[in-house]
Amino acid sequence: MLPRRTLLAAPTLLAAPALAQGDQRPAITIAVQKISNSNTLEVLREQSNVGERIFRSSLWESLIGRNWQGQLETQPALATQWRRIDDRTVEFDLRDGVRFHDGREMTAEDVVFTFGPERMFGTGEGSGAALFQRAPGTAPQGRELPPEVPAVARRMLPALERVEAVGRHKVRFVNRTPDVTLEGRLSRLGADIMSRAGFEAAGSWLDWARKPIATGPYMVAEFRPDVSLTLVAHDAYWGGRPPLRQIRFVEVPEVASRINMLLSGEAQFACDIPPDQIGAVERNRAFEVQGGTILNHRLMCFDKSHPVLRDARVRRAMTHSIDRQAIVDSLWSGRTVVPRGLQWDYYGEMFLSDWSVPRFDLAEARRLLREANYRGEPIPYRLLNNYYTNQVATAQILVEMWRQAGLNVVIEMRENFSQVFDRSTGQRGVRDWSNSAPFNDPVSSLVNQHGPRGQQQQIGEWTNEEFNRLSDLLETDTDRARRRATFRRMLEIAEREDPAFTVLHQNATFTAKRRDIRWRAAPAFAMDFRAQNWGA
Amino acid sequence: MLRFFTIRLLRAAVTLTMVVTFAFLVLIASGDPADIIMGSDAPPEAIEAFRQAWGLDRPIWVQYLSYFSAILSGDLGRSMRDGRDAIVLVAERIPATLALTLPALALKLALGIPAGIYAALHRNSMADRAVMVLAVAGFTIPSFVLGLLLVLVFAVQLGWLPSGGQESWRHAILPVITLGIGGAAVLARFTRSAMLEVLGQPYIRTASAKGVAWRAVVSHHALPNAAIPTVTIIGFMVGSLLAGAVVVESVFSWPGVGRLLVTAVANRDLAVVQCILLLVAATMITANLVVDLLYGLLDPRLRSGKEG
Repeated sequence: MLPRRTLLAAPTLLAAPALAQGDQRPAITIAVQKISNSNTLEVLREQSNVGERIFRSSLWESLIGRNWQGQLETQPALATQWRRIDDRTVEFDLRDGVRFHDGREMTAEDVVFTFGPERMFGTGEGSGAALFQRAPGTAPQGRELPPEVPAVARRMLPALERVEAVGRHKVRFVNRTPDVTLEGRLSRLGADIMSRAGFEAAGSWLDWARKPIATGPYMVAEFRPDVSLTLVAHDAYWGGRPPLRQIRFVEVPEVASRINMLLSGEAQFACDIPPDQIGAVERNRAFEVQGGTILNHRLMCFDKSHPVLRDARVRRAMTHSIDRQAIVDSLWSGRTVVPRGLQWDYYGEMFLSDWSVPRFDLAEARRLLREANYRGEPIPYRLLNNYYTNQVATAQILVEMWRQAGLNVVIEMRENFSQVFDRSTGQRGVRDWSNSAPFNDPVSSLVNQHGPRGQQQQIGEWTNEEFNRLSDLLETDTDRARRRATFRRMLEIAEREDPAFTVLHQNATFTAKRRDIRWRAAPAFAMDFRAQNWGA
Repeated sequence: MLRFFTIRLLRAAVTLTMVVTFAFLVLIASGDPADIIMGSDAPPEAIEAFRQAWGLDRPIWVQYLSYFSAILSGDLGRSMRDGRDAIVLVAERIPATLALTLPALALKLALGIPAGIYAALHRNSMADRAVMVLAVAGFTIPSFVLGLLLVLVFAVQLGWLPSGGQESWRHAILPVITLGIGGAAVLARFTRSAMLEVLGQPYIRTASAKGVAWRAVVSHHALPNAAIPTVTIIGFMVGSLLAGAVVVESVFSWPGVGRLLVTAVANRDLAVVQCILLLVAATMITANLVVDLLYGLLDPRLRSGKEG
């Protein structure tokens, strides 16, 4: 039986009686676990999954967009077309008639400013020093960037030399070194275009970062950090009038409370639903749970400096002891997949369709352990309490699977990543992680996370001379066939020969909603509320 | 009186110093704020930049001295996550928390004290047992369970009240009831015990024997004497007005000090945590001071320092 409140609320959403006179479009509320980790709406400061959800495609847009209703393939967005001038240069034709949230027209000048020092890379001396520095009496009135913004920007576009306007609606991006991934980098979260006038009109960087002037179909009406974010329709949107009058994201940390908001009709969407709650929600036929795999893989990392794990055969044995499909079936109700290693379909021609994770083979695992002369020495497994969905349950299953092969893995609970990384409190062994692919090339994940400047090597967990050499090659090589071969060799090293990590499964995110709302979840955290994905 | 206040102030200063020091050491020792705030996927150079900007790369004792001297000069620091003054962030949340805890305190008093008195005056009756069963149930059910039960019934099934948020006064009803029931149950138990003890005293028998009306015996002799332990409990409740709703604020998505505290601890946002702890400690100390003064008003023997 439907709750009375749900029945009463039903007509308000689709038939949409106008609360605001003259505007018949519905307003929706979305209950989320977290709105923004950084309490800002700046794409370079909020490089997170939750950031992608509120930014794309509602608020921010980049020159090259993604097909949120397809397989995330790139497609024209604020640029209608682009072309390679040479190995280092890409030229973009900007879309005519794009209006920012403040009504101004987007021009090449805004694009140049977006990728300039004032907003992205810092102005040099003193940049990043004032805003977040805890100096008594220093008010946060500066326009200086927080230091992490230029750091993220440099990671995103490490070799960008300049961006130049070559016409009112034409820009060129020039790299210092050849880079076939430049287009991909310009489609990722962080490369979104902002209004120069909007930035300059804001009282401070923080003021701007809480109400950025961008081009998306919805604009910020009110942002209450840790509480709610209200977006309203940007009716001059280049892609057509948005179908919703208002979108309100409400921060509800507890899963039960999010589901209750949905069931009671106060929210039309409830995000971050754990897999074990899907059945409970769908038992009520008025609701359904959508969503699925996202551009994020769950993996285990190995610390090569551990006396036992120094031997690659022990690490390889660990990779062969895992029945990944059993984890997917039991903990995820089969609603995610075991991917083909640390790569995603949307890599396009760089995707290696014949690659796979190490097969589940206990006999092979035992053979490798015998060869390595492993005698049951304990291997520590530093574990966080469900930072990742199903993390603890997965760890407990893994430990039992490893035990089957003869491995003695001991769980050590930790409170945060800082404690997981800490070397002063004992020997590290294995730990959990997840990797995303911010753009459609293996550089975005394999190189950026596991290469010489990636986290795993920076914290001293793992290194491999050949892998590092190939990382540099993959970043600068322009021969596509050779890049595929390089990528394959890198996967061989990092996943099989000298394992740095092993992929467990693709991550997934689930959104519960009223069944009668015609809306489709993207294979990503992004929530698309443009006209083509509402009520069609 | 001056000596009384001087001793109390010195004790308060020592308590606050211990709170600040303990919280600092626990938070810093249990995780690097840079790693936590920037997230596990942040580039190492971004984490390093963050660490340098906030002085987290300096030795812990330097960080502590720097922080402590700033507090002494009245600067409670800035939120590493937010960039704003911690005191401003906390002050913004105080009205929301008081909007729950003050009505909840009133509910506790309105339900708990009369129920306790009634149960004591009808000792061993069915009514007494019923009140005590409800009281035991009230303070043994965890607030998050009670909160979710109330939401299930009144928001999801009946649709009478909202399940969470802070948009209107109706949103406060369920969290106030959740907070109020547990406290009322505790007060009922304490009030009943205190009343029973007083009702067994010789002066109550004497007053009754002299022919004083029972109503007057209760209101003039029993209640004032039973008030002292009850006032002590109420003092604790007043002291926890600022941070006594952590769980309830989370269950009902109520953006008060409690939720800010949970977020700040999770992020190791030191300045914000310390600011909240200082305020909570100061409130508790003030509440205790007021309770001490009230003892004197309620019992003249304590005012003159004599036991009678």
